[in-house]
Amino acid sequence: MRTSFSMGTIILILFAFVPAIAVVFVSFTNLKGLPGLPVEWIGFDNYRSYFGPGHRADNVNAFRNTIVFASLATVLQISIGLAIAMLLNRPLRGRNFYRSVVFMPTVLGVTVTALIWSLMFNTSGGPIQSILNAFGTDSAFFGDPNIALYLVIFCQVWMQLGVTVIIFLSGLQAIPADLYEVAAIDGASPWQRFRFVTIPMLAPSITANVLLGVVNAMQSYQLTYVLTGQSNRATQVLSLQVYEQAFGGRSGTTLAQSQGYAAAISMVQFFFVGTITFLTLWWLRRREAKL
Amino acid sequence: MSDSTTKPVTTDKFTEPGGSAVPSNGTGLTPRAEREDFSTRKLSRKRRPVGAYFAVGFLMLMFVFPLLYLVNTALKSPQEYIANPVGIVSSPQWGNFAEAWQRGNFGDYILNTALYTIAGASIGTFIALVMGFPVSRGYIRGGKLWTALFVLVLFLPNALMTQFQLLLRLDLYNTRLGYILMVAVGVGIGPLLFSGFVKSIPKELDEAAALDGIGYWRYLFRFIFPLARPALATIFILQAVWIWNEIILATVLFSNSKLWPIATGLNAFKGTYSNNWTLLAAATLIVATPLIIGYIFIQKYLVNGVVGAVKG
Repeated sequence: MRTSFSMGTIILILFAFVPAIAVVFVSFTNLKGLPGLPVEWIGFDNYRSYFGPGHRADNVNAFRNTIVFASLATVLQISIGLAIAMLLNRPLRGRNFYRSVVFMPTVLGVTVTALIWSLMFNTSGGPIQSILNAFGTDSAFFGDPNIALYLVIFCQVWMQLGVTVIIFLSGLQAIPADLYEVAAIDGASPWQRFRFVTIPMLAPSITANVLLGVVNAMQSYQLTYVLTGQSNRATQVLSLQVYEQAFGGRSGTTLAQSQGYAAAISMVQFFFVGTITFLTLWWLRRREAKL
Repeated sequence: MSDSTTKPVTTDKFTEPGGSAVPSNGTGLTPRAEREDFSTRKLSRKRRPVGAYFAVGFLMLMFVFPLLYLVNTALKSPQEYIANPVGIVSSPQWGNFAEAWQRGNFGDYILNTALYTIAGASIGTFIALVMGFPVSRGYIRGGKLWTALFVLVLFLPNALMTQFQLLLRLDLYNTRLGYILMVAVGVGIGPLLFSGFVKSIPKELDEAAALDGIGYWRYLFRFIFPLARPALATIFILQAVWIWNEIILATVLFSNSKLWPIATGLNAFKGTYSNNWTLLAAATLIVATPLIIGYIFIQKYLVNGVVGAVKG
């Protein structure tokens, strides 16, 4: 028992926890992406530089984008997901097929999703551009810094919606049907039935979905990376900044690749995500208790 | 707040129709009332779904149309695409797929991805099995601590640079083994899911096996493994889907593009042929088709995994 357990534990600790903990230490050094360079302990310099005026514009921008991305993606996912789950919970013909279709993008992955929607949002004659043209306008889509972030959010929601719907569906199926019957006999309107039966009974699913959505959305950057590139200011988010700082110029040619600095950003993000997660959890628990 | 508002609303409504319903019960009007209720319900059921089906239709459009459009584009010749990007394809160019397959080296990449996915997810599932079982049973000291570790693994900070440095120092940078190990520890909820599942296996079985003198290894792989097959399949598939679509770690941990998995290969292909949409669509479809076909078979496990993860 010892051997098998420790085999698993060693692999997990060495390759998952050691790098994660090392981030803390690396954030106090001037570690570079190039191998063989001397590594020095530089104290809080990376953090000072992060919070200093030199990077402020970039960092505020990345922070703002992260918050917009996380909050909008979560809200949309929850509200649209709940609506779809309620629709697909009705006794419709072929609803299992519809459920499968909605859940499918979860397996497609970021690259395929990104390419599908780049094609849909193609600026020269793509289907959505054609619709806009019919109304006499056009758009640069991902090339337009004002809407690029929102389009990425749209793609993210499209990709992740299936998970939300499945969680809500399993929650909806657990609500006993007699509750609705009782409410109907009591003359509750559809809205009242939704507000006073569905929502409170769904509270655990809502908690799970909000938490999952927030944590996921605050750390996801893969879709952004594929859709708009690593250094697009309009869609720059915290995790992408980490990647850009650490591995920015391909094949280690630039000195700008400071992995120590990237580690500092990663730590800032880690605490930010942690704080938001705890606040969300605390708020959801309180709400659940009230409902 | 909501509590105080619910009660008055429901009680108010209850007293009004309730008052008229009670005497009708007594006078034997129930059958007729019931029949009426039944017929109106049937009527409304017939009428109602029109809106629902309309909504479903829109939903399907949102999820199926992009894929159909992808297929449509992949089958066009470049000239036809430029002349009429949204029209339905007139003469399908099946050669696009062969061309994309060759130019993008997708044959090599698919083999790479298959290797990484199977090896990585197997190791990950193994970790979940050998750690989840004893921790759940309390056979290992510090049980709560290990469970905390299983949760913690979900909330690790973004450690790309240290993962890169670790492999560099272990001489595993730019090797298949290094990448496999890195994706293998992306176990996610695996150990947590499994230690939850173990609780449904009766402990008496452990004791009986111990009395019969069956060794721990044999017990774990001959008895627990078959019993836990559905749970392990779910864990394996959740991780496999993640590895199959992983792109960032592969970009960071390989400098040799021959070792790339298919997702990274497709992303690079996108960089090279960014304006050749017919070829790009064909390449995307090459990558997406195995996923969609595989999805039909693994869907059950994915749903179980998602639902199980939430309950856990």
